[in-house]
Amino acid sequence: MERKGLDCVVLNQGYACVNGRVLEHEAAGNALLAELYRNHIADWPKFFKMDTLSKAGFVASELLFKEIGDNRHEGDEFVQNRAIVLFGSTASLCADRNYQETIQDKDNYYPSPALFVYTLPNIVTGEIAIRNHYRGETSFYVLEEPDAAQMAFHLSCAFQDGATDSILAGWVDSTQNDDFQSFMTLIQKEDAADAGWLAGQLQLMINNLNK
Amino acid sequence: MEELILKLKQEIIEVLNLEDIKPEDIDNDAPLFGEGLGLDSIDALELIVLMEKNYGIKLQDPAKGKEIFKSINVMADYIQKNRTR
Repeated sequence: MERKGLDCVVLNQGYACVNGRVLEHEAAGNALLAELYRNHIADWPKFFKMDTLSKAGFVASELLFKEIGDNRHEGDEFVQNRAIVLFGSTASLCADRNYQETIQDKDNYYPSPALFVYTLPNIVTGEIAIRNHYRGETSFYVLEEPDAAQMAFHLSCAFQDGATDSILAGWVDSTQNDDFQSFMTLIQKEDAADAGWLAGQLQLMINNLNK
Repeated sequence: MEELILKLKQEIIEVLNLEDIKPEDIDNDAPLFGEGLGLDSIDALELIVLMEKNYGIKLQDPAKGKEIFKSINVMADYIQKNRTR
């Protein structure tokens, strides 16, 4: 019997797709993330305070959970043992630039605390963990480019801690405020046992990042 | 004073990214933190920056913010009495 592929959400500045179904939208860039939030999520106002990297990761994760009916129940065991492992290539560069603009001019030097808090790439994992009450590992790896084999390797390693049962995994990248790519998937322990199969699944998602 | 209150509300909405909230939605006497607008500690720091940048008020003791940011009315009153620009 053919094995079912992983559920996935793929987003970029002009594209939103859930398990192969393209979501209708009017906006592009950062406004697309706001449109997706308003149309499909709408109950987490902190979204509007996030940087583009966190917004892209947050929206992708929410669309994925909505698709697979993964509801949040703080007491559930899967919540306790779920990790978040994300990858990207430019880390928090976009947020770093936004923050730098607030400290660039010595005569207009007003460092923004709200921008500063996003000058680390792993903040996106924290935003998702807070939303879902996850208490497992959260990691953000910086890779030169999306690399399915390397990502599958790191994800397999994350299951070796003896506690992790599932991982919210994906690629999240933002080079400018209106320019982003992300995919998000949920991996169970048995999925990672076959690293070749997992890498193949991730490669399919990577192939769709530039649609 | 009413003009200052409206301007202050618009500045807070912009600087704290309070999407979908209009100035008239903010009660002048409602607490800004906790139950009111539901602001957090990072928002408090942004309000301190806003006071310095827009009104030339440098809070020497950040703990004073707790009293000053009690409500829009209290904040506007403090700004009117202490502004340098």
